[in-house]
Parts: sequence; C-alpha cells; structure tokens
Amino acid sequence: MMSAAALTRRAAPVLACIGLLAVWQVASLALKNDSFPTAIEAIRAIPDILGDKESLINILASLRRMAIGFGVAVLVSVPLGLLMGRSRAVAAFFNPLLMVIYPVPKAALMPIIMLWLGVGDITKTLVIFLGVSLPVIYHSFEGAKAVEEKMLWSGAAMGLSAAQRLVRIVLPAALPEILTGCRTGLVLALITMITSEMIARQSGAGNILFNALDMGQYDTVFAMIIIVGAMGICLDAIFERIRARLVRWSEPQFDMPLSFS
Amino acid sequence: MKVLPSRSSEWVRPVVSQKPASAIIEIDRVSQVFQTSTRKDHLALSDISLTIEEGAFVSILGPSGCGKSTLLYIVGGFVSPTSGAAKIKGQAITGPGPDRGPVFQEFALFPWKTVLGNVMYGPRQKGVRATEAEAQSRALIEMVGLKGYENFYPKELSGGMKQRVALARTLAYHPEVLLMDEPFGALDAHTRTRLQNDLLNIWERDRKTVLFVTHSVDEAVFLSDKVVMMSKSPGRIRQVIDIDLPRPRRRNELLLDPRYQKYVVDIERMFDESDETGSPS
Ligand SMILES: Nc1ncnc2c1ncn2[C@@H]1O[C@H](COP(=O)(O)OP(=O)(O)OP(=O)(O)O)[C@@H](O)[C@H]1O
Ligand SMILES: [Mg+2]
Repeated sequence: MMSAAALTRRAAPVLACIGLLAVWQVASLALKNDSFPTAIEAIRAIPDILGDKESLINILASLRRMAIGFGVAVLVSVPLGLLMGRSRAVAAFFNPLLMVIYPVPKAALMPIIMLWLGVGDITKTLVIFLGVSLPVIYHSFEGAKAVEEKMLWSGAAMGLSAAQRLVRIVLPAALPEILTGCRTGLVLALITMITSEMIARQSGAGNILFNALDMGQYDTVFAMIIIVGAMGICLDAIFERIRARLVRWSEPQFDMPLSFS
Repeated sequence: MKVLPSRSSEWVRPVVSQKPASAIIEIDRVSQVFQTSTRKDHLALSDISLTIEEGAFVSILGPSGCGKSTLLYIVGGFVSPTSGAAKIKGQAITGPGPDRGPVFQEFALFPWKTVLGNVMYGPRQKGVRATEAEAQSRALIEMVGLKGYENFYPKELSGGMKQRVALARTLAYHPEVLLMDEPFGALDAHTRTRLQNDLLNIWERDRKTVLFVTHSVDEAVFLSDKVVMMSKSPGRIRQVIDIDLPRPRRRNELLLDPRYQKYVVDIERMFDESDETGSPS
C-alpha cells in the first residue's frame, strides 16, 4: 500500500506535465499563430515520427553517438579526475589545459573538428565526449580531493598499495560526487548531441528537428522537442535510480528507514 | 630518554605467558619539522627517544599541539620524521604496515561498507578466506558489543558505536601494535567510560602493545602501564611515569584507590606546568 505522501510524490511530476501541456494548449489557441501549434497537434505528430523508419533510424543513431560519447567520457574522465585529486603533479599538469577548455562552448569547436574529421559520427561523438568530460573530471577531482586522509591511512595499514587505495578507497569514497558529475554529464550529452546535429546536419534527432523547421512543419518541430525532452527526462530518471542504489550508504538517513527484523 | 623496563611482577596475569619484556618499538632521536605558511619551519617534535616494551600499554599525554599525533603517525609510518628513526622489532619503519594498526578518532571507517564489511576488510586483504574472515569478524563485532548491527552502514551508527567498529576493524587483522589517537576523545563521558572498560577487558585478554594518545589524565592513568608526559613548543618528552597499579583494573575499585588518586593529582599538576611553559617561543 502506498501512503498518501508517497502517492503525492509519484503523481507530482505527472501533474506538472499535464499542467504544462494545458497551458501550452490554451496559449496556442489564444495566439492563433502558425508557428505555434497546439499541444494536441504536436502530440498527434509524435506517432508519425516514431512510426517512420527513417526517423527512427535517425533517433537511434543519435542515441548511439550519445551513449558512446558519454561512456567513453566517463571511462576517461573518472580515472583522470581521481588521479588529479590525489596527485599534485597530475593536477598541475592537467589543470591549465582544462582551464583553457572549460569556458569554450564545445559546439564552437565543431567547425574545426568537422574540418579535420568530417561531418560524420566521429565528429559528433567527439563533441559529446568533450561536453561530458569536464563536469565528470571536475566532480571526480573534487571527490578524490575530499577523501579523508585517515581513511587512506587505514587502508595503507591493512596493506593496500597506492594503486589499490585509488581503486578500492578513493573511487568508492568519491562515488557520490562522481555520480553527481555523471548526472550533469548525461544532460550535457543530450544537449551537445542536439547541438552537434544542428551544426552538422546529416542524421540524428536534431537533423529531423531542424529540417522540419526549415520546411515549416511546426507540429513536427514541437513533437521532436517533446520526444527529445522525454528522452532527457527518462534517461535522467533511470540514471537517478541507478545512482541512488549505488550510493545508498551515503544518502541522508530519512530516505532509508531501518528495522531490526 | 630511554625508558627502562619496569614490569612489576606482582601483577596478576592469569593466562598470558611470562616472557621477559623486550623492546618492540624504539624511537631514536626523532625530530619533526613542519613547513607552515605562517611560521616557517615549525619544530613539532624535538629529539624524542622512547622505547616501548612488547605487551605494554603506553599512553602519550600532553597539551594540545605538543606533537602527540605526529609521534603516533611516525610510528605508524604515515609520516616520516625529519631526522632520527623509529624501529619496530629492530626494523626501520619506512611506511605503514599491518603489524601496526591505527585507530583514529574519526572519519576512518569506510562509509560504503557495512559494519561487517569494515571489520572483514583487513583479514580479507591479508588473504583470509571469506567464510573464515566473516566468522572471525562476527565474533569481534560481538566482542565490542555490536551484535545485531552487522549490516548497518557507519552513517547509521552513533559516535560511540563507530569507535567500537573502528577498534574491531583494527583488531581483526591482528596487528602487533595498536596505535590509538584519542579514540574516545569525541565521546560523552558515559560512553567514554564504557569504551575504556571494554578496551581494558579486550587488552587484558591478549595483551597487545598499545600506544594510546589522550588528553585525559584519568584515562591515561586508568589504562596504562606507562604514561609519557610531553611538553609543547617544541614537543619534547618531559617525563615517563610508570603506573604501578594492579591488574585487572576495575574502575570502581581504582577510583577509590589512593595510589590511583595520587597518580592523577601528580600528573595533573605536571600537565598544568607543561601547559604554562608551553608558550610559543
Ligand atoms: N601536516 C602538518 N603541517 C604543518 N604543521 C603541522 C602538521 N601536522 C602537525 N603540525 C603542527 O605540529 C604540531 C603538533 O601537531 P600534532 O597534531 O601532533 O599535535 P597533538 O599533540 O596531537 O595535538 P592535539 O592534542 O590537539 O591533537 C602542531 O603545532 C601543529 O600545528
Ligand atoms: Mg592530535
């Protein structure tokens, strides 16, 4: 049985979505503008897009690039961030580099990358990779830096080598912080995915969206916005579930009632 | 200053073999200089020499900032001294090792491991088989009074319970020397007393060598064979006092014992003096 409070918590996001769509519907009816279809029109266009093989291939290609860009970025950034957090020399080496890259919008690098690597998958995946890397490196770095020295000493006294301490103490101790970075990275992956497809039109969800915009198919444009938004919300929700499971040990007490049974 | 063996043989020691006291830890003219941002070169420890016999319970007592923790860290191998050397069983200490088990005041438990996971960590690292390590760890958890909490995470425990887990975790891999840095410092008086009693019971069972840092004169006298009094700025050993009180010690008997009271009063007076002389030069 769900308690009333739990029910409210579950229902809240659904209600928020319905509310948003209702406002949209009313606003669109009131404005009567061609480039602002009603919510119902946009939603009606969704099955057309998802039923179309071509579109589906495009969207899946987007998702694949995003998954690869995000995955590789995490695999590279977490070890790098952890090393930077525990070694002054490594931090001193990479910090200036990252400080230069940090404020540059990754999409702004695209023209150059396109020049070198073409408009294909590699370029777009690389841009996603760059977009995801920085927050993940930053959070891994901060997480590793904050690991209690006494914890590492305790490990050393038990006979853990420096490498073992990094993998078996620094990594788990910094995991909550790392996953916070990954969550930000996931949203950024989606954003850079769409942006990259806007710049290098060729395939992908962004391609469908901007082509429709060019051709004045506004219901498709808004339908794509809903689809991409829903993808973001779903990915974030799935990631949050995984994150919460992995770092249950660090969550505030009230989220995990205890019993002696 | 060398500390001479002073084990009085009148002590009641039921199970333990009567082997002659031999030095397990030798600290030889150790000095520690820290570079700080404000004061350049701060002499935290100056020319410390100390010998600790196997099986002895030795407390280090002194005003805040006199270098107690630093000395303990040097023995642990976590900090290497600027000059001088520390040895364990004749071997120079170059780093941490499972022969010396630290118990810190806080933040040392692995928060992502349960109580059982924390206690099993050392034995598993040593290569003890999982089933065996688990059985031993469960027994230890029971010994420190935490039966039923095996699957709790550290954040779900009180401060006193965490200290018990920290003690059990270190005992689990059988270090020859326990290095305890104000392990009960952050606890309320009642919990502190209970943990002191428990620690004494455990210690009296297997007589490990213990190096115990504390602020509390009562605690030092109650627990120790020897109290090392330090003074500040620079950190030096002022005096080493043998505590000749019978064991096993019972708190309620000891508090009424005039010998105990005299130790406490004498050491407290010395403590006050060393605090006064300890103004930064
Ligand atoms: N890593 C460090 N860098 C610079 N100075 C340090 C460092 N560690 C300790 N010190 C200095 O060395 C002195 C001794 O410190 P230590 O922590 O050993 O004292 P303590 O006797 O344990 O004090 P307390 O009882 O407050 O814990 C202090 O003056 C402290 O400022
Ligand atoms: Mg200290």
